[in-house]
Amino acid sequence: MHYTIRHITRFHYTHPVSESLTEARMQPITDANQRCLNFELSTSPEARIMSYRDHLGNIVHNFDIPGHHSKLTITAKALVDVQDPAPLPDSLPISAWKELDSIVSRDDFYEILVPSPFTQATPLLAEFTRELAVGRDDDPLTLLHRINSGIFQRFDYAPQTTRVDSPIDDALRARKGVCQDFSHIMIALVRQVGIPCRYVSGYLFHRTEDHDRSAADSSHAWVEALLPGIGWVGFDPTNNLVAGGRHIRVAVGCDYADVPPTRGVFKGQAKSELSVAVSVLPSTEPAPTQMNYSPILSIGSHGAEPDWASEEFAQQIQQQQ
Amino acid sequence: MLSRVADSLYWMSRYLERAEHTAQVLDVNLQRMLEQAPRHAARRWERVMKTLRLVKTKPEKLDAFTLTSELTFNPSTRESILACMAAARENARQVREQIPSEMWEKINKLYLRVKSATMEDVWRGESHEFLSGVREGIHLFHGITDGLMNHNEGWHFIQVGRFIERAQSTAALLGAYGPDLVNAADRIADVRDYFEWVGMLRSCMAFEAYCKVYTADLRPERITEFLLLNAEFPRSVHFSAIMVQSALNAIAEFTGTKKASRANRLAGRLRSMLGFSQIDEILGEDLNTYLDDIQHHCAQIHVATHQIYISYPIESALAS
Amino acid sequence: MTLPATGLPERFAAYELGAAYDEMFTPEMRPRAHYQTLYESLLELPPEEMRRRQEAADLSFLNQGITFTVYGRDEGTERIFPFDLLPRIITHAEWDTVERGLTQRITALNLFLKDLYHHGKILSDGVVPRELIYTCKHFRRDMRGLQVRRDIYVSVAGIDLIRTPDGSFAVLEDNLRVPSGVSYMLVNRQVIMRVFPHLFRNYGVRPIDHYSQALLATLRALAPDNHPDPNIVVLTPGVYNSAYFEHAFLARQMGLELVEGRDLLLHDNVVYMRTTAGLKRVDVIYRRIDDDFVDPLAFRPDSMLGVAGLFNAYRAGNVALANAIGTGVADDKAMYAYVPKIIKYYLGEDAILQNVDTYLCGDDSQRAYVLANLDKMVVKPVGESGGYGMLIGPHSTRKQQEEFRHLISATPRNYIAQPTVQLSCAPCSVDGSVEPRHIDLRPYVLHSAERTTIVPGGLTRVALTKGSLVVNSSQGGGSKDTWVLFDPRDRIDGETSRRSFL
Repeated sequence: MHYTIRHITRFHYTHPVSESLTEARMQPITDANQRCLNFELSTSPEARIMSYRDHLGNIVHNFDIPGHHSKLTITAKALVDVQDPAPLPDSLPISAWKELDSIVSRDDFYEILVPSPFTQATPLLAEFTRELAVGRDDDPLTLLHRINSGIFQRFDYAPQTTRVDSPIDDALRARKGVCQDFSHIMIALVRQVGIPCRYVSGYLFHRTEDHDRSAADSSHAWVEALLPGIGWVGFDPTNNLVAGGRHIRVAVGCDYADVPPTRGVFKGQAKSELSVAVSVLPSTEPAPTQMNYSPILSIGSHGAEPDWASEEFAQQIQQQQ
Repeated sequence: MLSRVADSLYWMSRYLERAEHTAQVLDVNLQRMLEQAPRHAARRWERVMKTLRLVKTKPEKLDAFTLTSELTFNPSTRESILACMAAARENARQVREQIPSEMWEKINKLYLRVKSATMEDVWRGESHEFLSGVREGIHLFHGITDGLMNHNEGWHFIQVGRFIERAQSTAALLGAYGPDLVNAADRIADVRDYFEWVGMLRSCMAFEAYCKVYTADLRPERITEFLLLNAEFPRSVHFSAIMVQSALNAIAEFTGTKKASRANRLAGRLRSMLGFSQIDEILGEDLNTYLDDIQHHCAQIHVATHQIYISYPIESALAS
Repeated sequence: MTLPATGLPERFAAYELGAAYDEMFTPEMRPRAHYQTLYESLLELPPEEMRRRQEAADLSFLNQGITFTVYGRDEGTERIFPFDLLPRIITHAEWDTVERGLTQRITALNLFLKDLYHHGKILSDGVVPRELIYTCKHFRRDMRGLQVRRDIYVSVAGIDLIRTPDGSFAVLEDNLRVPSGVSYMLVNRQVIMRVFPHLFRNYGVRPIDHYSQALLATLRALAPDNHPDPNIVVLTPGVYNSAYFEHAFLARQMGLELVEGRDLLLHDNVVYMRTTAGLKRVDVIYRRIDDDFVDPLAFRPDSMLGVAGLFNAYRAGNVALANAIGTGVADDKAMYAYVPKIIKYYLGEDAILQNVDTYLCGDDSQRAYVLANLDKMVVKPVGESGGYGMLIGPHSTRKQQEEFRHLISATPRNYIAQPTVQLSCAPCSVDGSVEPRHIDLRPYVLHSAERTTIVPGGLTRVALTKGSLVVNSSQGGGSKDTWVLFDPRDRIDGETSRRSFL
């Protein structure tokens, strides 16, 4: 299926800023199951867009705007062809664990087997691990399905309750959150039993008949786990889905910290407000006449002028070997 | 040279000039005070505040002790000797490796001396000794600078900072005494006028130089002319403007910057304004307006210099 | 001349030999051949004269402004880095081994870094455990797959050597990030040539003053191909950094601009510096700022010292950095234990310079041994330098040992332990008399694709406190000049090479 994706990101600064540098991870992946046929990124104010492939294989676009500006708009347009993945077996033999362990020992999966910044083990997570009885009693595939639906059933989808960079404890405590939280929780659970598991950022094509919980007009996140004999399989705990032909993958990493859609710094004493609009449509449909923007609560820091007199500065300056 | 380095040299120099001015004004007025009835004191100290462009900050009491303490040691009073010395030293420290070590040592020693002194020392002992010590230290610093530092771009930035500050200080001094000078022009001067005028000239070390030009015959219009328009006296506004212009020209040549013309044009305009003015015209119209014009010009030169060499917008630098 | 009980002249009355190797005396208290001349000169030098020369040397440091400013309470006062008057002497043959050993080591470590940040063969082959890499706080995953100019990761290294009781040199620590101290090596030489001109001339000491040129050549070799006049800068954290003197010194010696992060900016993946004549492109940066702080966009977002976007310019190949980002993974003190294996793996050779026995607390059995023998060992945190956070077992209190027991148990990967090594002793001038003090040696290695340059000598650091084994300047250490002698076979016609000092 061919999709046209529009992803518009708007930064509003409370005061004019200058020398802003921004990185965007927005170009859909091209691999066996998905082809990005066309991708365009433009900005206002205009900038020269450069790109590179990061250490995780994701395409990153970066640009800078030297002059003063109080608004920054990033528009990404992509045309993607997504294949339905081969159907999964109902379950795997219990011996799959052994096979998995041997794959893991041969190759480098270190980073997606241990906790990463957003998937730290906490007492609340341990409690939840017991609640879902996460362990190696089932075969790996059955366990993954159980975790996927377990999170779906036990958590409410509640936009704006957590921030994109919230620790999983916030969601675990409130039993509600958004796709990032559910993905982080699932990753933390899955890695504990020795299944390589990574974070995927991307988009979900919403059809009315699907009743997806996640919002249609924003980007989406889910996880991918490695299964012996099958390869990477996507699980979407937000919607209790196995990722398929409606999931469009943009970037993969250990967790959200590796793949934020945008990241940047600027000079100036200002706060930035961020709002995002996304539309995912079959390429046969006309472009939407109006985009629906929703605010995003803080994306970490879009930096500010350093305080040269601070204690912190004094400490930084002393490092030496 | 790095913009940051030029900026530090410029500010180091401005702060030193400011410290010197404060020390001199304070010294003269403390001496005058001894020779004057206490009832005139409040007015005197009000005028000192004005001379130092401190009209906005009003200390609780306008007496000699409070003010001396304020203007010498209060680190948060912008014009205090300690605040200026600390700022000058900090700027020098930032470029310590780019200037002869003697310059750094001098400024550091002077700062430490001011910092370690106490109000009791200054007040009980000879305030004159302390204040003239500060002044001499700064003179020595300038001697070292001229004698040991390469007269390169950096040296010219020091000149620009020093003389912009001086033009503004002398103009402020004239502004503070202006009303009295203008009033006195229409009548015969008395002893008290004379007393004030000597103090004013001494406030910028101009008394002897004035006498050489006009003899000891003190007249308001001559004093104003001397401090404003004389092209040879190093503390006059006119002389300062000449120095600023020539330093800016030298910098433009060093850097080969075409955009420099704005700062140079402003400096040239200030210079010719002073060069072609007649004192009777200035006094005939409005001295204050004229002085405001000078202050405004200096501020513009400062901004233009900064914009051209230090904080220029990157996009324009990339375009050229 | 009266001879005290030890059989030594009074001058050396306080000179006692311990378990450590003594640089000047044989165990029989006879001066070693290459120390004979110094020994005799010391006998002729009256105590007051020695004191006078020490004062002259100290004054020389002060006058040259080789001081660090003390901040805080004594704001503005200047101190000098303590300098010991008596040179430390290394023979030609000894140096030959050191030089070969260091060249071998730096070559292997560089290959290791390249492998680590590309295919990771050494990890797949199980020579170095993968976990050790990923748990190292100086490992930079962003560096994977990044093409580093000429494949040079470490351009400048400072390798800390000690002399073990059997007289051989061993490596104590690798410093592959931003090693400091080389300015003291250069200045010590200038001072001693003034204080002991005759002695210096008679000894036939190999020169070191070409260091700055060699460093410049090393940096220049990182510039883009065919660039006739690359703009190379030295990046410092600023005037408040305790090594600022060195940054300024090296910049001046090489004729390069000394910049701070705020002098630099990025546009379209190109680095520029802001000058009064406009923006000027920067091609190579000798950075004296740690990885964490070089780019707030790529690394610590709260860094105030770096340049936002620098890492992207680096990745794009528009600017070269010396040293590369991520070299710290190879000087991690736990990684150190694997260096002999790393040398073997890449070069097929045995390490010329030995390591000191090292116990990794991350390993259960090794940790058990360490915890049982805390009072005999030196425990070090793996990612630190400058002698901070160490436990010197034999000199520690019970309470300190308990503290370390907790620290090690909490984060075992962060600690290693070594048996207390007796650093060798060298004669030092102590208030007019001569006494032994413990020393080490930090030679500086310059490494480029074409050649490895090690100026003969390095910084000999001295533990000024009697009996102390800690030589770090932050912990009361000082330094002395290091003399590497010409090959005695060349000495007959060595006049030509020596004439240059006259």
